Amino acid sequence: MKIPFFIKNIFETKTEGEESWGKVETAGNELKKDVYGKLGRSLFIRLVDSGSCNACENELSALSNPYYDLERFGLKFVASPKHADILFITGCMTRNMLNPVLNAYNNIPEPKFVVTIGDCAGESSIFRESYAVMGPVSKRLSVVMHIDGCPPEPKTIISSLISLFRK
Amino acid sequence: MDESAEKGFEEEIIGKNELRDKTNGIIYGGGYLLGVVALDNLLMSKDRFEIKYFFVSGRRIKSLAFLPGDSFPSLSDICPSAKLYEREIADMFGIMPLNHPDLKPLMLFPENWDAAVHPLRKDYGGVKCIGPDFKRYGEYKYKKVYGDGIFEVPVGPIHAGIIESGHFRFSLRGEPILQLEIRHFWKHRGVEKLCEGKSLSEALKIVSRISGDNSVNITLAYLTAAERILGINVPQKVKHIRVIFAELERLWNNVRDIGFIFMDIGFNLWAQNLFVVLEDILRMNKSVTSHRYMFDIFRIGGISDTAYIDGAKAGDIAGLLEKVKDELKKAEKIVLNSPSVTDRIELAGKINKKTAQELSLCGVCARASGLKRDTRIEIPYLLYGENIKIEPAAFEEGDVFARTRMRIKDAFESIKIITSLCRSLPGLLPEAETAADKEAADAASNTIAAGIFRAGGREAIGNAETSRGNAFFYISTDGEGKIYRLKYIDPSFRNWPAIQYGILGDIIADFPLVNKSMNLSYAGNDL
Ligand code: SF4
Repeated sequence: MKIPFFIKNIFETKTEGEESWGKVETAGNELKKDVYGKLGRSLFIRLVDSGSCNACENELSALSNPYYDLERFGLKFVASPKHADILFITGCMTRNMLNPVLNAYNNIPEPKFVVTIGDCAGESSIFRESYAVMGPVSKRLSVVMHIDGCPPEPKTIISSLISLFRK
Repeated sequence: MDESAEKGFEEEIIGKNELRDKTNGIIYGGGYLLGVVALDNLLMSKDRFEIKYFFVSGRRIKSLAFLPGDSFPSLSDICPSAKLYEREIADMFGIMPLNHPDLKPLMLFPENWDAAVHPLRKDYGGVKCIGPDFKRYGEYKYKKVYGDGIFEVPVGPIHAGIIESGHFRFSLRGEPILQLEIRHFWKHRGVEKLCEGKSLSEALKIVSRISGDNSVNITLAYLTAAERILGINVPQKVKHIRVIFAELERLWNNVRDIGFIFMDIGFNLWAQNLFVVLEDILRMNKSVTSHRYMFDIFRIGGISDTAYIDGAKAGDIAGLLEKVKDELKKAEKIVLNSPSVTDRIELAGKINKKTAQELSLCGVCARASGLKRDTRIEIPYLLYGENIKIEPAAFEEGDVFARTRMRIKDAFESIKIITSLCRSLPGLLPEAETAADKEAADAASNTIAAGIFRAGGREAIGNAETSRGNAFFYISTDGEGKIYRLKYIDPSFRNWPAIQYGILGDIIADFPLVNKSMNLSYAGNDL
């Protein structure tokens, strides 16, 4: 049988490149163990963009590409906050997004956790001084973890999530 | 050099009552609106407010400038693309467009902001407008469609997937969409005000984060304006490298966007295939510039040290692009030859040429609707128009199919440009930077640091073609060379309204597809 291109491609990169495929794989499997062990089942994530530049979203979508394919480790981005265990927030929390973000948070069933992604969402945001920005997110919600980077790379996000579950 | 070349535009001072006639003249002469910029001259010695309308007319940029006092005539009937700019001016400066058909607040939501607040006025203190009690100031009124069996479907601001925030409100009767109202600016970060008072190089960091996936090209538009103000002429080699990065960004954007189109028609295999290619390009970006999205790779007058391309890096880039090209060729074959694909994308989201003209669309959306608009051709910058000649091209249909083919064409064009530049690059730089170059660049950055350049009280514009269309900057400086007013206009700001027309008569299930085929930015639009 002919191997479809994209599968072949993954196998090829297994052996080459500075971010070796194996590392992601091991990290992912560890994550899976943690997720299944601590939560009994898979982990559902709801992402809310509170005023990002879109690069953070790009990295989060990259987590679903065949290189990383987060879903096979039991982590899934879901459409409704009502299905979610964890809220990812990107962006600097603008005035206009403040109410929708709080709304989404309130609709997540307990127990729930907030993780902020990217410098914008943290203390050191370059937009913080603006009249339209209400961040950092931690001023409004209790945040269990902040993932640094502008934007944080997919492998950083994965390894940070591991450390979160180890806590 | 004459003054208009230094500023990048020709200005005509008019009275505000002449505005409509003059605009008519320009539009009938084949020109179109590029953007509108308002200024508050409170700290400078002129009449308080000033408004400039920028048009592309022939191969020049022409501005009509006037002093509005506290109101000015709306152009919305003769030049519909002016509508949004006028609403923005009403919000930000409190100068009222007269006879405007839809004067709702735009960026400052009536729920969240006191109507008396106008942040871009110089006497606005910058106080954050929020009470501890979340006081609601007013209510936003959506356009309503009345009649039997009509219902509304509100979507957003938070969407189902990993997407930016924005609100869409559909009115339907049965399946077909009768009206779509887009309500954006949820992500309004106040970028323009934030840049005021910063030096031209300090603002660079903010500017490159306006819209992350178009960071390179937006920054290039900014640098064009800033370098005009500073009177810096960048060396040929720097231009060379800047164009490589600009095209690289256009390429990965187009690869991703074509992937999105496959995804939204349910052809996941090919979507994922292109996402693999995308990830490969991003990883290469990282190894070449040390950032996957190429943030902060430029400085005024040059390239930052981490992103300097040498012969080896140029070889890497050209090598990967060979592979990308093969994959895109296969994707093109599928787009053109599979009935299951063309069935979905033909006729969906059709924007006809007249609409495109009236809304002054730009970029892929304009080119897919029969308008040959490309900043690289119309307002050449860097190497465009010099070493690089781009053939004006357009498709007539205006549907998703046309936009997909346009993107594929753009991607091939980028690959061609990058490959040829990478080949000629080693000839330009025998070793890394030559001593003379380094000296010139150092001298330039020293003058910037010392603040003793000629930037006091100057103004200039800069344009660049992003993967979405024209990015426009207007910058003016105060006596000390700090930014007095910075206005950025994102291609998405011009193109978003077009979806409201393109989607009419289609079904909601097609909306994600139409939306993705244009793939507009929320962040750049909302600022
Ligand atoms: S942290 Fe950086 S990449 Fe993420 S949204 Fe902010 S500016 Fe963009």
